[in-house]
Amino acid sequence: MNTVPTQEAGMNTLPTQEAGMNTVPTIHVADPVIQVRNLGKVYGSFTRDSILQTGPEFGTARDPRTGSIIAAWNVNFDVAAGEALGIVGESGSGKSTVLRCIAGDQPATTGDVRLACHDNGEFNILHLDPATRRRLRIDKLSVVYQDAAEGLALGVTAGGNIADPLTAAGWRHFGRIRERAADLLRRTEVPLDRMDDIVRTFSGGMRQRVQIARALANNPPILLLDEPTTGLDASVAAGVLDLIRRLLEELDLAVVVVSHDFAVIEMLTQRCIVMQHGRVVEDALTDQLLEDPQHPYSQKLVAAARA
Amino acid sequence: MTNPILDVRDVSKTFTLHNIDGRTVSALNAVSFSLSPGEHVALAGSSGAGKSTLLRVLYRTYTAASGSINLTLASGNVVDLTKLTDREVVALRGRELGYVSQFLRAQPRRAVIDLVTRAGVSRGMNRSEARDAAALSLKRLDIAESLWDMHTAVLSGGEKQRVNIAAGLISPPRILLLDEPVSALDPENRERAIDLIADLSLQGTAVLAVFHDLDAISRLATRVIRMKRGSIVEDGPTADVFPHLQPAEVQI
Repeated sequence: MNTVPTQEAGMNTLPTQEAGMNTVPTIHVADPVIQVRNLGKVYGSFTRDSILQTGPEFGTARDPRTGSIIAAWNVNFDVAAGEALGIVGESGSGKSTVLRCIAGDQPATTGDVRLACHDNGEFNILHLDPATRRRLRIDKLSVVYQDAAEGLALGVTAGGNIADPLTAAGWRHFGRIRERAADLLRRTEVPLDRMDDIVRTFSGGMRQRVQIARALANNPPILLLDEPTTGLDASVAAGVLDLIRRLLEELDLAVVVVSHDFAVIEMLTQRCIVMQHGRVVEDALTDQLLEDPQHPYSQKLVAAARA
Repeated sequence: MTNPILDVRDVSKTFTLHNIDGRTVSALNAVSFSLSPGEHVALAGSSGAGKSTLLRVLYRTYTAASGSINLTLASGNVVDLTKLTDREVVALRGRELGYVSQFLRAQPRRAVIDLVTRAGVSRGMNRSEARDAAALSLKRLDIAESLWDMHTAVLSGGEKQRVNIAAGLISPPRILLLDEPVSALDPENRERAIDLIADLSLQGTAVLAVFHDLDAISRLATRVIRMKRGSIVEDGPTADVFPHLQPAEVQI
């Protein structure tokens, strides 16, 4: 099943391969920390036709013959340190699937994902064995989920949740682990007197803060955010969003943010991809997407957000 | 005459409204002009003439439908903005190309000093340099220090516009696009802002600006480009074009 067609190699191939025919690229663009090529995820068995007969033009990600879902196909992007890329689209568009395939929560069906921080991007991390893959999550790549239950052990204390990735990274000194955990909680504005409370007793906003603290424990160069403020009360969401924005500005992270909320995307990202029915229908500067969306679906999404 | 820093050739812009029966709206037709370092060119024309559209196409907030936009970089290399990748445009937007909109599109819950400091960082300053430059910039626009740590949302319209200018003029890029930057200011603050904008030309920044008043144009611009229905109808020295401006083209 390796010969499935990829669609036109639309977006962001390596910058050196673009920039017009006659002009040599002369603008310095930082090397990507994460590079995603032709990422695809299919639930169920599929054929060449499954790919050719699904997607935005067909109004579905579901192959009518086999019932397979082409959850994501031919997704490409680069993110450098200090940059944040947004993935927008309605529920079911495949945006979270992309994030989960990169994170290793789900096996990708096809694709090539390289991290500058892992063997200098020599190897496609999608081909790593599961144990090596999991180790990337300790200090290379962290995820903040919409549902804190996915990112945290709810029955464990805030301090314990943060200690977990630290001990996995080889921290042994109890006092230093406590100190680091306290420092992270301070930075994420969690009251220190809650450090030894079970996370289940925390409010939704506080759980997100602990999740962020844990995600940053070992200073990973890559942070993936999956609807980090969805489901929180407006004022609580604003606080968490402000925290994320501040951390992105202070730390030189390569960030991917999945959100259906344009306010989040506008606040955090410089560039975006728009997904519909498992495909990328547009890639754009964030301000361009909001002011001059090109694809019919992007225009619909932006109009809905503005209404 | 020095080589242009910006050379715009046959740029057109059409909006295709896919969700309103695929209707197309033409906003710019084959616009061509160039801009030299230190030159200040005013765009004039009645509302709907395409002035703001042109600025946004040059900043790539809008994508051009056709034509080329050649920029001469600090390195001397020439790039066509319409062909750059998004990542290249992000890199370009710091030190090379800036845009000051009419209204402060401030992010929510952002402190004044923080917003201006960020602008400095985006133009290549380190955080502490940017903070100092932001303080200076705010002082020059007479923004009271008591406002610096307040969220931009609570400011008055005039204060917002001054903060916007403070951010736009910090460590000025080589090309600056201004869209009615002083429209909401009282006379005293307007004078202050116009002086600062005039300084840009002395520093070598090429400015392309839309103003809503003749006074600002006559004091700042060495050249005026008149636009009508998406096309350039006249391009010449301010003294030559000025007498031709119709009242409707400049809202007094």
